[in-house]
Amino acid sequence: MSRGACLTIALAVTLAPMPAHAYEFWLRAQTIGQAYQLRDYQLVGPDLFLGRRRVTQTLALRITDVGDFAAARRLARLPEHGLRISWQSYLRVDHDFGDFTSGSLTLAGPIRRDAIDAIPELADSVAGLDLMYGYLQLDGLVDDRLMIQLGRVLADDGWGTTGIDGGTARYQLPESVLPISVAASAGLRVRASSPLGVTSYELDGTSGAGCQEYVEGPTPGTGSWKLIDRNRMITGTALASDYEYCPQRDVNQPTVGFMLATTHTKHFAAEVGYRRTWSDTVGLIGPVDRLSTPDLGLYPNEFGQAPATGVDEERLYARAHADFKAGGLAIEPYGDARYSILHAVLDRADAGVRLRSGAHVLEPAVEYYYPTFDGDSIFNAFSLEPTTDVRLGYRYGDKGPWRATADAWLRRYAHEDATTSFSGGGEAGVQRMLGAGWRGGLDALADTGYGGRRIGGTAQAQWRGTETVWVRGRMIVLAVAEDPTSTVLAAHYVTTSANFSTTWRVADTVALHFIGEADHDAIHALQTRAIAVVDLAYLPEP
Amino acid sequence: MKARIILLLLLALCVVVAAQPAQPEELDWSPVVYPLQRLPLIFSHQKHLARGTTCVACHPNATSSQSAVDNLIPTEAQCRACHAIDRADPAKQATPTAACGACHPNWTAGSVVQQVYLTPPPLKFAHAQHASTTCETCHPVRNVDLATTKQLPTMASCITCHKDGEEERHCTDCHLAKLGGLVETQFEHGRLVPGRDGLGDQHGPGFTNNHTQEARQAGNTCNACHDKSECVECHQGVVKPADFHPGNYLALHVIDAKRGKDCSACHRSESFCVACHERSGVGTRAASKFNEIDPSTRFHPIGWASPNAGPNLHAQEARRNITTCASCHREEDCLTCHSAQPGAAHASPHPIGWRGSSRCRALDRGNRRMCLRCHITQDELGCDWSKH
Repeated sequence: MSRGACLTIALAVTLAPMPAHAYEFWLRAQTIGQAYQLRDYQLVGPDLFLGRRRVTQTLALRITDVGDFAAARRLARLPEHGLRISWQSYLRVDHDFGDFTSGSLTLAGPIRRDAIDAIPELADSVAGLDLMYGYLQLDGLVDDRLMIQLGRVLADDGWGTTGIDGGTARYQLPESVLPISVAASAGLRVRASSPLGVTSYELDGTSGAGCQEYVEGPTPGTGSWKLIDRNRMITGTALASDYEYCPQRDVNQPTVGFMLATTHTKHFAAEVGYRRTWSDTVGLIGPVDRLSTPDLGLYPNEFGQAPATGVDEERLYARAHADFKAGGLAIEPYGDARYSILHAVLDRADAGVRLRSGAHVLEPAVEYYYPTFDGDSIFNAFSLEPTTDVRLGYRYGDKGPWRATADAWLRRYAHEDATTSFSGGGEAGVQRMLGAGWRGGLDALADTGYGGRRIGGTAQAQWRGTETVWVRGRMIVLAVAEDPTSTVLAAHYVTTSANFSTTWRVADTVALHFIGEADHDAIHALQTRAIAVVDLAYLPEP
Repeated sequence: MKARIILLLLLALCVVVAAQPAQPEELDWSPVVYPLQRLPLIFSHQKHLARGTTCVACHPNATSSQSAVDNLIPTEAQCRACHAIDRADPAKQATPTAACGACHPNWTAGSVVQQVYLTPPPLKFAHAQHASTTCETCHPVRNVDLATTKQLPTMASCITCHKDGEEERHCTDCHLAKLGGLVETQFEHGRLVPGRDGLGDQHGPGFTNNHTQEARQAGNTCNACHDKSECVECHQGVVKPADFHPGNYLALHVIDAKRGKDCSACHRSESFCVACHERSGVGTRAASKFNEIDPSTRFHPIGWASPNAGPNLHAQEARRNITTCASCHREEDCLTCHSAQPGAAHASPHPIGWRGSSRCRALDRGNRRMCLRCHITQDELGCDWSKH
């Protein structure tokens, strides 16, 4: 749409006579400035420090009761009933103007290039305009049984959240039929290439094939994969790589999901769900499809072996928890599992029980993890070994001055050759209110086994003597011994870190935060980090 | 053996905690929902009820009250219905008692009567809608003298009739909502947090860093009080959370990453890890300090990428935690050797029994594009072919 048309529509909307509705707004805005350094290991000469200078603006917005449909009941303090229309969104603008993204580097050759041209992944940092979610919600339909969300909605299977540009509908069955609700969602999965896209919603392990094309050889089946030649498409943009072109990463990913969940059940809740994401196979690459050899598309397809579509994700998940009491003991067992139909494996599961007696909570749990990736990724063929964790957590929190936590864990690696290896460790900490607004705490950490060994502790103090100023300091000392089995960089060293943070509550919900950090170890002589945040909807922690 | 010992120890710890004597749930009556009261009165519900006095005799507005802010405490006028109170005669002797000091303790002639002080609970509640329920169902006053907050219903008692596990929007059926529809949690007299009644954790010690189960629970009520942006700000945020990643985590993350710690709740390795590693010179694309040819600066140990098996071969690391590899390497690096293309090394990454396995069939059926990255000729595709 042209700029003129946009302006005309904006003016028309602004100037059109509109009835005055008392919509309710809630918004939270944060302006965040960060400056810190990262090391750039140099081939020749001393290492350099790369500066990151980030400015981020966020805006979370809720507009409730659009149209005032629920105003009468709300003012009468009656339970909500009937149509309620609301909007929820979270928008983020993020820009890094430090050397980290805007600098250049030397490739083998040597060739000097802009960093973002050589490392396309930096595009996430250089300038992001992300709509994390934003949807219109129609609630209270069909006698308060149906809820519809339209826009960029969130989908969660218990192990991660993603975004879908589309809609979700949830219907509560009559209690006399079944105490469950059914939900369905459909739309396009949010990708980095989506309008106002979000990289973190993408499945991990997206195929490198997205950036390469199959170039056929003299006879069918003798070709090879080559980086898609993008020389004729260079745009000179500073916000993305000029050299990498990944059409498979840009195609739409339709997604559908279904869910059944218990409702109105006491002391027990469960949910089962299904989600499937797929994408079309990229065919001819269009303007850059200029090869002299027969080109049949991004993938080899001399014999029609390239599928028209491929599944990126197809999963079933289930989660359940319960709570009951036995004497003075509250018992809350839970279990969750996720099965990847695409990989034919159970890729996530956990089970545990939370035992609560007064101020004491004990939680033994078992977790299972089998890494799986986007269906396009060859990592699916490499990743073959699951891990199993046994964990035990303890919490103590009463109205008194003391609070304590302790966690122990053991991880078992099951290898393909039927052998096993382990890692394990524990953490423990205590906090105490010291009076006059002071609070102090000590934490200790120790772990060992596969991966390395760490032992050390943290001491921290916090002062909240007034309603407007908070101050907190922390000192961390850790001895580290890295496991040398995969890198020869492994070393023994002691790392120290000093953190300082303060909050100045300027007004009721307006606060300025400042965080400073200085780190020292054998590899990084001194690294510093400074963060400043202007928070326009500040709510102090208890 | 070690694992069994550890499991036994864990079991023993569970038994010890389970054997703890029951402790009273002191927080059942939230001081935020029911703020502290000042009741300088002498009164016995027990005696009045024993005489057959009905509740509405003293609380006549209770059956019609529409709001929790309504003051339903009996006024002097209601007491006068039975007690012959006479302000001109504060020490009046009568049956039933009519002296001022009989109800107002420590009152002496000429002094000011201490006022009853009740902060209305921050709740929505209509007594009128509960008129068909007996008063004592919610207010167990038959055996007490002065009724206090202990005779007000807790949420646990509410949900004996009002079923729990419902969607988050129903929290504001009873709790006050602030602008935007979220539950109002901030009051002058305290902050509202979930109680220990099966509807949520109390947000106790370590909750900020350890709330996985609460968030994963079906039907959780997190979004009744928390805007979704609060999740995003941390899980997909732009600021390193200092409490979760302690100081100098940049140096320390190596061990967690190698162990295969799941970082996917916040980070996507193919974008987050790769960008930083490559830019820092710990990658494969830029000219780096780490050079596999030079033994003094090599990153991986000798034999890491050898075509032959050996103690340092990368195979086991890749099978165990390919995410760590992917934080620097792209798939093209793997395909240099692991490919069935003409001219490639044909090093198969597949385990014994891969062909014909359910996993092979599932992946091939779901997305053959992955297979085509290595297997190009038609007779190598699928899971039923045998090597010629």
